Amino acid sequence: MSDVRLRLSGVSRTYRGGAGVHGVDLDVAAGEIHALVGLNGAGKSTLMKLMVGMLRADAGTVEVLGRNIFGTDGVDWAQVGALIEYPLAYGELDGRTNLLMAARLRGMRGRAAATAVDGAIDELRLDRYAAVRARRLSLGNKQRIGLAAALQHHPRLIVLDEPTNALDPSGVILLREALLRRAEAGAGILISSHHLDEVARIATRISVIADGRIVGTLDPDGIDIERAFFAMVYTAEATTS
Amino acid sequence: MNALIDAVAVESRKARSARVLWSTGALLTFGVATLAAVVVAAGRTADPAMLAKLGPQAATGDWTALLATAAQVTAAGGLLAFGVGLSWLTGREFADGTISGLFGLPVSRSAIATAKLIVFLAWAVVVSAALTVLLLVAGFALGLGAPDVAAIAGVARQFALGALTALIAVPAAWAASWGRGLLPGIAITVGILVLAQVSVLADFASWIPFVAPAFWSIHPDVDSALALSVVPLVPLIFGAATVMVWRRLQLDR
Repeated sequence: MSDVRLRLSGVSRTYRGGAGVHGVDLDVAAGEIHALVGLNGAGKSTLMKLMVGMLRADAGTVEVLGRNIFGTDGVDWAQVGALIEYPLAYGELDGRTNLLMAARLRGMRGRAAATAVDGAIDELRLDRYAAVRARRLSLGNKQRIGLAAALQHHPRLIVLDEPTNALDPSGVILLREALLRRAEAGAGILISSHHLDEVARIATRISVIADGRIVGTLDPDGIDIERAFFAMVYTAEATTS
Repeated sequence: MNALIDAVAVESRKARSARVLWSTGALLTFGVATLAAVVVAAGRTADPAMLAKLGPQAATGDWTALLATAAQVTAAGGLLAFGVGLSWLTGREFADGTISGLFGLPVSRSAIATAKLIVFLAWAVVVSAALTVLLLVAGFALGLGAPDVAAIAGVARQFALGALTALIAVPAAWAASWGRGLLPGIAITVGILVLAQVSVLADFASWIPFVAPAFWSIHPDVDSALALSVVPLVPLIFGAATVMVWRRLQLDR
């Protein structure tokens, strides 16, 4: 079985007006936390939308767990956990029921679903909110529910777009530990962020995106990665303008 | 098949907790039953001015008056209620942003859209049944006595009218999906309502599926009953179109 959990080859998607992503090659291996960093509007979310079929690429291919996402073989999506844009948290349902629904949408039922949900509630310290309807939760706690929904089934590939959005410091630490545990267990993880310090703590690899293109990589253990990041971004912008 | 079962389980669980569906269903059932009961109660008074206002049908103050009034209100109010319910069921995923969580799942969006339509129809059948029962309760409470054969046929027709009205509301699902929100669904429901009511008042085009249930409820004869056979075309065509929108959906706007 391939060690590559996600592979994008020459992926392009251009919106009206020219924005989008252009000729992106990117992969995520098993056990790796690959961070995608860029300024707002750089193309991070577009790229992640392409990974789960929210958008179709104009060119190139997206392979998830070794299968083309629009191929006839079909991806085993039950082995994927993603949180892109809004958390899957329905206001009329409490935290626990939301997680049970997310598990059911991945084919988990009965005791297996209940065990997974209990584990996620425990791991992300959601016990106080398990019986509270999502519409009464703060944005940060809704985000925790969404993260739990993406992680609770221990997927082999995890794709998270700006996962620390609205999280408080304790939520950030809980997420960081949850991701490190899953990477250690063999999951391939891709996270996008515009917080360099945050991703540098956990990433094994950092790719920089600017103007819809991957413009370089950063060493997570590097000394002044902020300076290196901006140098890459400004060089890319100067080249394309 | 398992994916559809999972999708129906999720959608029905969401629907059971949905205030919109509970309140819309309650408004329709209690609203129609109360209105029909008030009209019949007024018809049983001896005030000639009131009887003249109510017209010959309602003025009889019996089961026929109760059911005829309920049918007229259901044809219009039911369409609006079912259209709002279905617009919410489909459009809320876009309005709440939860649509982004429905990608990258083993349960396809086609299955989710189909499940929404199944849950909607189940909800509409329950609401229609509840309204029918409530009308029977109202009739007995008004002292109309045991319903005769014609009244029992009218009760059955009332239930069928509710279900048929739900079927012609299905374009709301397509509009809410295509327009990515609740308002397009509600707008198309209002459009269908206007078309149906104007056609009934003008006694015109009873064979149009959107018009047939309302026409049949007011003129329940052989011709209007035959015209009902075209009604299933609406959920079939617009149900398929809704599933197609969800299958091909891209979050590009």
